Parts: sequence; C-alpha cells; structure tokens
Amino acid sequence: MTLLVLPLVLALISFIIPEKFVRYFGLAGALGSLAVALGHLSYFNPEKYVSLFDPNRVFPLGLTFKMGYDGLSLTMVFLVNAIVAIILLANYGKELAQNKTFTALVFFMQMGLLGVFLAQDGILFYIFWEVTLIPIFLILYWFGQQNNNPVLMKFFIYTLLGSLGMLLSFIYLGSTYQTFAFENLALAGSFLSAKVACWVACGFLLAFAIKIPLFPFHTWQPATYTTAPMAGTMLLSALMLKMALYGMIKWMIPLTSSGIGEIKWIVITLGSIGIVYGAIIAIKQKDIKTLFAYASISHVGLIAAGIILFTQTSLESAIVQIINHSIVAVGLFFAADIIESRTGTRNIYELGGIAKLAPRFGFWFATMTFVSVSVPFTAGFIGEFLLIKELFVAHWFTGLIASTTLVFGAVYMLRAYQISMFGAPKMTAFEDLKWNEILVFALLTVAAILIGISPECIMNFVKPSIEHINALMVGDFNFIK
Amino acid sequence: MDALIVIFITGLVGLFVGMMKKPVLTLSISALGLVTAFILTLFSRSYVSIFSKYNGLSTSPLTDAFSLLAIGLTLLIVLGGFNYFKKDKDHTADYYGLMLFSLCGALILISFNNFFMFFLGLEIMSIPIYVLVGIKKSNVLSAEASIKYFFTGSFATGILLFGIALIYGATGTFDLATINSIRGIAEPSPMFHIGVLFMLAAFLFKVGAVPFHFWSPDVYQGSTDAIMSYMATVVKLAALSAFVTLFGNILVDSKGIYQTILVVVISASFLIGYLSALKQSNFKRMLAFSGISNTGLAMLTILNADYGSLWVFLIGYTAATVALMTLSQAIDKIDSEDILNWKGIGYKNPFIGVVILISFLSLAGIPPLTGFFGKFLILSNAYQNHLFLVILGLVSSVIGAYLYLRFIVLAFSKDSNAEKISLTPLQYVVISISSLVVLLGASILIF
Repeated sequence: MTLLVLPLVLALISFIIPEKFVRYFGLAGALGSLAVALGHLSYFNPEKYVSLFDPNRVFPLGLTFKMGYDGLSLTMVFLVNAIVAIILLANYGKELAQNKTFTALVFFMQMGLLGVFLAQDGILFYIFWEVTLIPIFLILYWFGQQNNNPVLMKFFIYTLLGSLGMLLSFIYLGSTYQTFAFENLALAGSFLSAKVACWVACGFLLAFAIKIPLFPFHTWQPATYTTAPMAGTMLLSALMLKMALYGMIKWMIPLTSSGIGEIKWIVITLGSIGIVYGAIIAIKQKDIKTLFAYASISHVGLIAAGIILFTQTSLESAIVQIINHSIVAVGLFFAADIIESRTGTRNIYELGGIAKLAPRFGFWFATMTFVSVSVPFTAGFIGEFLLIKELFVAHWFTGLIASTTLVFGAVYMLRAYQISMFGAPKMTAFEDLKWNEILVFALLTVAAILIGISPECIMNFVKPSIEHINALMVGDFNFIK
Repeated sequence: MDALIVIFITGLVGLFVGMMKKPVLTLSISALGLVTAFILTLFSRSYVSIFSKYNGLSTSPLTDAFSLLAIGLTLLIVLGGFNYFKKDKDHTADYYGLMLFSLCGALILISFNNFFMFFLGLEIMSIPIYVLVGIKKSNVLSAEASIKYFFTGSFATGILLFGIALIYGATGTFDLATINSIRGIAEPSPMFHIGVLFMLAAFLFKVGAVPFHFWSPDVYQGSTDAIMSYMATVVKLAALSAFVTLFGNILVDSKGIYQTILVVVISASFLIGYLSALKQSNFKRMLAFSGISNTGLAMLTILNADYGSLWVFLIGYTAATVALMTLSQAIDKIDSEDILNWKGIGYKNPFIGVVILISFLSLAGIPPLTGFFGKFLILSNAYQNHLFLVILGLVSSVIGAYLYLRFIVLAFSKDSNAEKISLTPLQYVVISISSLVVLLGASILIF
C-alpha cells in the first residue's frame, strides 16, 4: 500500500514545509515513490497477480476495495511514477516548482492515477478515475493561462459526462452479484447477450473515447492542452489519457467481450479518422502547443484502434506505444514550453534560427522530433509498425489509412522543427538549456532508444496479463484466484 | 422518544431563560439539550427508558439514524447561526425555542406509526417555521416569504387532511400497520387511491418538488441564513423520511397510479431545478433551485422504498448545505446576497476555499466525497426498475456539476478586491465539522 499512500502523504507534507525547500522536496518525493515502484518491480513475477489490499468482504455499496497489480498494471504504475518524477524535474527550474499547492496537487494527482491502475474493483476504479479530475482541474485553473474558464469548464463537464456513462455500465454489471470486484464483473459480463453487452460497452466507450480523445469527442483537447501550464499539459497527455487506454484493455473489453465485435469497427473507423484528421490539422497549425495537441490526437487514434483489435500482438505493441506516447508527449510539450517561456510566443512563424542561438536545445529538440516521427531504433518505430501491421491484418484499408501516420507525422513535426529552429534568427538571444532540462531530454531519449532496441522486455512483461485477459474473453476463469 | 422529550423541555426552559436576555446562556442550554438528545438517541438501544413505550411512534435503527442526523444538523445550525441570533438580543430565545419545537415535529415525522402522529408531527414542524421565516419583521422580503409560506403551507395541510380523511373513510383506521393488513386482504375502494393522491400533492409541496416548488426560492430568499439552512436540511430531511415511510412501505402502489405521477415529477424536478438555478444571481435562490433537483434525486428512493440510501444521500447534501450557509452568513452583505459577493473569496481565504471546493464538489457528486456515495447508492438501487430516471438523473447531475463548478471558478478567481473574511470560533467549528462530514461521511458505510 506504500505505493498508493506515499503520494498522498507527500501531498499533505508539501503544505507544511517551508517554501524554499518545496522544489527539493517535490523532486525527492517523486524519486522516492519511483524507488518504491522499482522495489515492487524487482520482486515481481509477470506470471503472478500481486494483491496489495483485500479486506475479503463486500462493503455496503458492493465495494470490495480490492487493489493489486499484474504485469500490465505494474507497467502503468511504473510509468506514472517515472513520468511524475520527470515532470517535476522538468518543472524544477520554474517559479511554479516553489509553489506548495502546486506540488501538493501533482502528488495528489499521482495518487489518483496510481489508484486507477491498481484498482481491481469497478467502483474503486471509477472513484479514482474521477478523483484525478479535481487536482488536474485545479492545476489548470490556478496555474494555467488567464481567462481559460470556458475551456476548463468544457473539459471538466465533458469528461464528467463521459465517465457517467461508465458509471452506468458498472452499475449494470455490478447488480448481478451485488459486488464490483473485477472477477465478479467479468463473470456477469460473460453472461450478457451481444446486444446488451454492446450497450454496456458503449457506456464505457463514452468515458474512454472522451478521455483518449477519439475523433468526434476530441473538441475539448487542443484548447485545454494549449491553455494549461506545462506540467498540466504533461500530466494530461502523458498520464491521464493513458487511464482511458488502460481502461479499454483492462475493463471495457474483458467485461463486455460479447459486445466488442459490434463496436469494433466503429472504434477502428473513429481511430483512423483521428489519425488522418489530427495530422492534417497539425500540419496547418501555427501555435506550437496546439500543433502537438493535434499530433497527440493522431497518435492515440492509432493506439485505440490497435487496442480494440484485441490480438496478442496488437495489445503488446499498444502498450509499447502507450509508453512511447508518454515519452513523446512530455518531450514535445517540454520543448514547446521552453520556447514559449524564453521567447514569449508560441507562433512558429515568429520563431526561427533558435538552433544557431541555442545549439544544445536544437540538438535535443531534434532528438525528440525524431523519436516522435518514429525513426527506427526508437520506441515509436516498433509500436507503430506492429500496430499498423495488425490493422493491415484486420483489413487492408484500415492498415493503409493507419500507415499514413508515419508520413503525416514526419510532415508536421519536421515542418514545425524547421520553421522554428532553422533560418535566420528572429530574436537576439535564446538562453540555452540548463542541467535539469538536458537531463529530462536525455532520460526521455535514453528510454525511447532502450525500448526501441529491445521492446520485448516490455512485451514479455505484459504478455502473461494479456494472455489472462484473452483467456477471460473466451470464458476461462481459472486464473482468477 | 426520550430525545423528543428532552428537546421539548429544552425548548421550554430556553424560552424562560430567554427572559434574562443573555444570548450565551440560551445558546448553552439549547446546545446542551441537543447534545443530550443526540447521546440519548445514539444509545437508545442500550438502556431502558423510564417512559413507557408509546404506540404512536416506532423506532428502528434507521429511524434512529435519521433522528441523529436531524438533531446533529440542528445543533450545527444553532451553533453556526449564533453570530446572527445574538444581535437580536430580545429574540434570541425565540429563535432557539422555535427551532427546537420544530425539531420535535421533525423527530415525530421520522418515526410516526399512525396518521394521527404523522399529522401532529407535520404541523409541529411547520408552524414554528412559518414564524421563523417572518421573524425579520422590518424586512419586506421576509414578510412576503412568511405570508407566502404560511398560506400555501396551510393550503397543503388542508389537502393533506382531506387525503387522510379519505383514507380513513376507505379503511376505517389511522394505524399504518392496520391499513397495510387491510390492503393485504382486499384492494380498498377508489376513495383510498384518491386520498393517496391528495396526500401526494401535499407531500410534494412540503419537500418542494416540481410542480409545487415555487414557494421554496422565495421563502429561502426571505428567511435568514440560519433558518434557511434549517429548512433546507432538517425540514426537508423529515419530510422526505416521512414520504418514503408512507409511500414506500404503507401506501404501496398496487395499481401504478401514482408511480407514473412520481416519475413525471422526479424527471421534471431533475431538470427544472438545475436549469433554473443556472440563471440565478442570488446565492440563496441558487441553492434553493439546486435543492429542488436534489430533492428529485432523493425522491427516487420512494419508488423502491430505499430508506438507507436516502439517509446516505442526505448526509452529503445536508452537511454541504450547512457548511455553505454558515459561510454565507459571514460572506453575504446585509443588503445583498448576490453570488458576486463570493468572487475571489476562495482565493483570498484558503480555509474557506477548501470548504467551498469540497462542499460544491460533493453536491456535484464527485467521488470520493459523501455526495457521490449517496447519489451512487440511489441510482444503483433504482436503475433496475427506472432506467430512464437514472439516465436522466445522471444527465441532470452533469448540469448540476456545471452549475457548481461555475461557482467554484467564481469563488477561486484571482480577484485582488476580495475581502478577507473573519469567522467567529463557533463558525469555524461548525464549518470544520460539516466539511469533515462531507469529506469522510461515506466512511460510515464501512462499519
């Protein structure tokens, strides 16, 4: 339980320590929780399910409070702790890092995210899912751009509306056995007729499609990303939307397996539209943050389409791609923020020649750009390649559409890089990277390349859990203890 | 039963002590009485009462839970409103005495066993409220509210009595258990159902549900903050509790006559409440309208006699209301209750900010706050028979979330002109307790 309680304790402590120590404390706390996750990782056997908390009784709501992890959950837990540490490191040099409330909110957010990935009980999952909304809303509201109220309101209400669909689905499934434990929900789900299961799946999908965001539900996303403070954007794109992708794998598909066939092509179509649509809009963007936001829509569309196929390979590569997307999102939004904070503009046409003024930044931004366009030996190459292959197997046409992401990705990323970094300098000075900024880029790049060279370490790690979920879908409940 | 007697005596003693014109003394006596009553109710099953059992009232663990909530809320309101009440030195004791008498009625209404006690409870609860609403004699709005509430209220009482008379005519008894057994033998005459419909109308008026909701914003606006929070919490709680007892268990709808009516009323309450609240500029009117929607949700429990969920829901709703209304006493200006008074308050005063945040998020039904668990219980118990209402309830709660969120954003806006609010120690205590309940109230479900 240390895993979950530690961030909460850290959040409370951040309020009482003196202001000048807050930034050290934030970083140290994040590293501490990363160390705890590493500890769990070192003892972990991917074949096993590890229970963290199980009171072994059903509470009045049907709550069981079951928490634990398998390979899949632990991967996400590790991702959360690592990315939070990197976000705080990236934020280290900023004024915001000194803010008690901000640090507390980030840790609170971390707690909610960990809860989402550790919950083995439907309602607990829902509770943590909603809990994450509060800190991110406050971070965006207090530390974001001024006058972003309408944007935030849209974000909050939209995601809340979506998650109510999920709540309804959970209530429906949970009523069969009067408990919301994962195995009971799965058992209840396996008895549903295809038609009912389809409706239940739609309830889940509403929540996940808005959070991911899939194509027609994405309207909240670009404005929210753009007006958010850097750390908020990173939390949103690198971690929060991963909750939805994880939710699809862990909850939606196993619980409504008989209905997935009906909505599969809807999701694939929406995902494919998102890939092309996001990319095309990204090509026309002037605002660098908005550009990356649309690029994100394009990337996650591919992941969502791959997940709904639900083959062994597509899921494993989706996990790799989830991790890759987190790396890319943090890196790119960090670069965007460095540009914005040093030049005061996000418009790429007002930029130019930065690579000359700040060669180190030019180098690392280029590295992140290449990671983002999935050149070979980076994580994205493996993830996208396998996902596109699986989509080809499903239908040649979707494969064709999906593969355009490689081309489009190169177009919008290289365009953004070229216009902003090369050419004649349009500003007199651009302060080069500080140590913590270089460290962030270096860590991200190393992670991307390591995964790119040996993706099988992650794939093997999550393989048993995905086999379990697949077994569950064909009605094999043996592995549930 | 003992608690009822203690509260009544406290009210009487308080009135006499009030002649000394020492507000602190009146407050201590009232608080002491309420605390005693609270303890007596809490342990009512572990000691033998000196009073013989009275057949008109019956208690169960659940009615005890409702009584505890009502007494606890009154205690909080009595303490939190002291700052206002003490200003009016001559009448402090009147406020407290009337509130305690009204509480007696509420307690009867929670545990009544026959129509006689039911009617008695309802009147004992309502009449002091008519007075309390109009107690700001110099204020036009207050007088208007009082007259409005009194006339419409007594009209509703008349209809209610008519209904009871018809039911009596059909069954020949006031006793609820007997009515139930008579209905078990043979379906009563149409007169019985007409009587039930009359009662339904009166009830809808008392809880302030659409289409009988027009009085509540006006009356809430006209009354002082403490009285309004009493009406929005204790009175509503008692009326809803009686509503569920009667319509959930005794007057069970065998022919589907009023089920349809209730479904329509609940759906209308869901939407009209929040949608009207969106356009309000007065804080109390906003709370009143959003209260209508919350009542709609609470009335969902009537359709499946879901007494326990109602209690959990009311904990969240009432605690948040008390916290906010106590804050409003400190924040609202004498001549203005505009919601713009709250602009930037949360930003300037961190403690108040946290309270505003969790209270409104709880009302909006965001987990892990108590409000979520109440809503969740009600909806998950109702969905099997009333899927449409559950979906509508979820949609309306999104509108509600928008309403509350807009307010949070207003309260947290970086407004450098915002005042630094100073709370009295008593208000601090009351607000802390009620926000703790909002924050952790759901943990009671674990035990």
